[in-house]
Amino acid sequence: MTARQRTSPVTKSEKPPTEQKPTIASSEDFHLSPPKLRVIFVISSLLCSLYLYLLCFHYNVDSELKRPILINAGLSLVGFFVTLKLIPVAARYVLRRNMFGFDINKRGTPQGDVKVPESLGIVVGIVFLIVAIIFQFFNFTEDSLWLVEYNAALASICFMILLGFVDDVLDVPWRVKLLLPSFATLPLLMAYAGHTTIVIPKPLVSYLGFEILDLGRIYKLYMALLAVFCTNSINIHAGLNGLEIGQTVVIAAAILIHNVMQIGASVDTELRQAHAFSIYLTQPLMATSLAMLAYNWYPSAVFVGDTYTVFAGMTMAVAGILGHFSETLLIFFLPQVLNFLLSLPQLAGIVKCPRHRLPKFDPATGLLTGTKDGTLVNVYLRIFGRKSEKSLCIHLLVFQALACAFCFLLRHFLAGWYK
Amino acid sequence: MAARKRPSPTSISTKPDTSDQKTTRNTPDNNVFHLSPPKLGSIFVISTLLCSLHLYLLCFHYTVDAELKRSVLINAALSLVGFFVTLKMIPVAARYVLRRNMFGFDINKRGTPQGEVKVPESLGIVVGVVFLIVAIIFQYFNFTEDSNWLVEYNAALASICFMILLGFVDDVLDVPWRVKLVLPSFATLPLLMAYAGHTTIVIPKPLVSYVGLEVLDLGRIYKLYMGLLAVFCTNSINIHAGLNGLEIGQTVVTAAAILIHNVMQIGSSTDPEYHQAHAFSIYLTQPLMATSLALLAFNWYPSSVFVGDTYTVFAGMTMAVVGILGHFSETLLIFFLPQVLNFLLSLPQLAGIVKCPRHRLPRFDPATGLLTGTKDGTLVNVYLRLFGPKSEKSLCIHLLVFQALACAFCFLLRHFLAGWYK
Repeated sequence: MTARQRTSPVTKSEKPPTEQKPTIASSEDFHLSPPKLRVIFVISSLLCSLYLYLLCFHYNVDSELKRPILINAGLSLVGFFVTLKLIPVAARYVLRRNMFGFDINKRGTPQGDVKVPESLGIVVGIVFLIVAIIFQFFNFTEDSLWLVEYNAALASICFMILLGFVDDVLDVPWRVKLLLPSFATLPLLMAYAGHTTIVIPKPLVSYLGFEILDLGRIYKLYMALLAVFCTNSINIHAGLNGLEIGQTVVIAAAILIHNVMQIGASVDTELRQAHAFSIYLTQPLMATSLAMLAYNWYPSAVFVGDTYTVFAGMTMAVAGILGHFSETLLIFFLPQVLNFLLSLPQLAGIVKCPRHRLPKFDPATGLLTGTKDGTLVNVYLRIFGRKSEKSLCIHLLVFQALACAFCFLLRHFLAGWYK
Repeated sequence: MAARKRPSPTSISTKPDTSDQKTTRNTPDNNVFHLSPPKLGSIFVISTLLCSLHLYLLCFHYTVDAELKRSVLINAALSLVGFFVTLKMIPVAARYVLRRNMFGFDINKRGTPQGEVKVPESLGIVVGVVFLIVAIIFQYFNFTEDSNWLVEYNAALASICFMILLGFVDDVLDVPWRVKLVLPSFATLPLLMAYAGHTTIVIPKPLVSYVGLEVLDLGRIYKLYMGLLAVFCTNSINIHAGLNGLEIGQTVVTAAAILIHNVMQIGSSTDPEYHQAHAFSIYLTQPLMATSLALLAFNWYPSSVFVGDTYTVFAGMTMAVVGILGHFSETLLIFFLPQVLNFLLSLPQLAGIVKCPRHRLPRFDPATGLLTGTKDGTLVNVYLRLFGPKSEKSLCIHLLVFQALACAFCFLLRHFLAGWYK
């Protein structure tokens, strides 16, 4: 639930009669603020440098594998620039169609009256799909086994983008929104030809009596639930400029580092293919998201819409499922899990749930104060005191990065003990 | 180019002030919005006409392998479920779509009271989503996990899904027509990549002596041809439009022809690869047929919903996909004869040689209720100029009969050229 005050389609009833809807003239005058490229450069360096270092220098990656990865990185870079160019164009079209919101966290200041174009996630989604489709030509031969999973992944992600965009346009009820990712996951579940076994943690083996448990269909159910969780959890951990994309790129960086580490540390070709597969989807996600972040970073010139959050969630779920590291992915998602648990009482209806569960904004000081709502944003504010929106977002992104780092530590220490 | 007068998003500038208040009125207006009931009687007649031959051939005339027949019938049952789901969902979606101000006015009723009714647009999204769900669920009943067909099936799903997405984005944001031309090429890419079939064509016997070859391997040029076929199919349905029920009508007639062709090929061949290719085509065409018929129940004259570019590009892409993966794309092109004719007639205006207005519809006379052909280069107008003014419903039926005749002509052609051509 993105926390932008969505203008009701019947805007006239809420505004004074003198205010007319935008005419063609004003959308021609519409200029999008320039992208914040320096911020993006800093963020990209922070996120990608460790990954690229590990890929190119630290590990001895088989050149057969390294080449497609670098080709994919090259295509992703092209995707970055294409997205960067297309967002201002799309923003004009979207505004013309009256798909915009007002920034609630700036209400009371002049910026709170600016019409911010919504649902620009559609640009990211389409460029991602085109990059992912074109990449097939460089990597897979026609009778490769991976082609099935790759096309199933594309079908799932594409279906999710479609449902997300339909939701942004038509505003479907939230119960339907919960259900949609399950449909979108079906191609993936069908194509998943991997093992459905889980390895029992060593300490429990003596209790259970076996080392490996074949979950069969329950494993597929778990995969579907994982997709539903990923798509919706990013959606509710939102509401600050740059938070939705920010959490995505931080997790994506962690995914990439994890994949490279697994490739570098293993000799099993199946395992390496699985992790390479995950890289092929995550690099374009990272690149196109960073391009949009250039416009969405504080202060946001565009909003991402549900289109982006469900697309990002689904892509990461797909990468985690087909790369066989879904448990690791869940630990990367620790802040989202926390947020979900905090939100449960309100989502379940036990505690009253308002339309927006945003912190309170004080125009005089420009600081946000935490309310009693059960979200990570609010709880963080209540623990650490009032903050400006930008500073709070950075804090939460650092928290996300720390959670990912914690996951790496956990894996390292439990490696011998757990499996 | 759907010929519905799309309301400009800046509706204030084009309408007088009093009607402004009407269009942006609050929820009470939406609460009293009722969609006309579906024209189930017409749909029953149309379905019977179109599906009976296919079902007869499948179940009685040919002895089809039991395994294959079972899959086809399961697919038919799922498609039937899809029909009812679409039927139920359209009124729901129409409310949401209208709330979002996505509607049009029926130009061919301008001057009559019906010309003032706000008709919900882009209901093709319902058809597209239900089709995808049916197609996805069907995988569970048919394919084993390591089947080769899974690649092509998923590539087909990805292509069709991408096309629906692009079509819906076009309906919402109204992208420029040059972009619209290029979009299907992107959507075809997954298909081209996954296409593992032969890229050879068989040289017609009479030409073998001139060419010197019997079989010509086109390689990448064949893939280019496939891409162009998809672009053609999606756009050609789009421009042969403008009458209530014409877009869906031409689709279901062509789909029926495809199904009959598939069954005939399965029945008269023993090659299992060949069987699979045509069965594959059936698996995608039956859901297309069923969901389209459900939308036609609301879109048939007089239309209570409009289909939008979402539907036309989805239908075109689906048929191109089955033609490509079923290996009968030349046959498909002959089924598309009216669309080809319409495209050729439209060329001067599309190319800009002749002046091209926003809508190239025939002229409607509210007094008589008849349409008269203008000088525009479309099949609709040329037909009217040849055969005189007609009512909209009657003209649509004429054009659909013409479509059916073109398909029948194709069957005849294949029959007579069978020995001579290949």
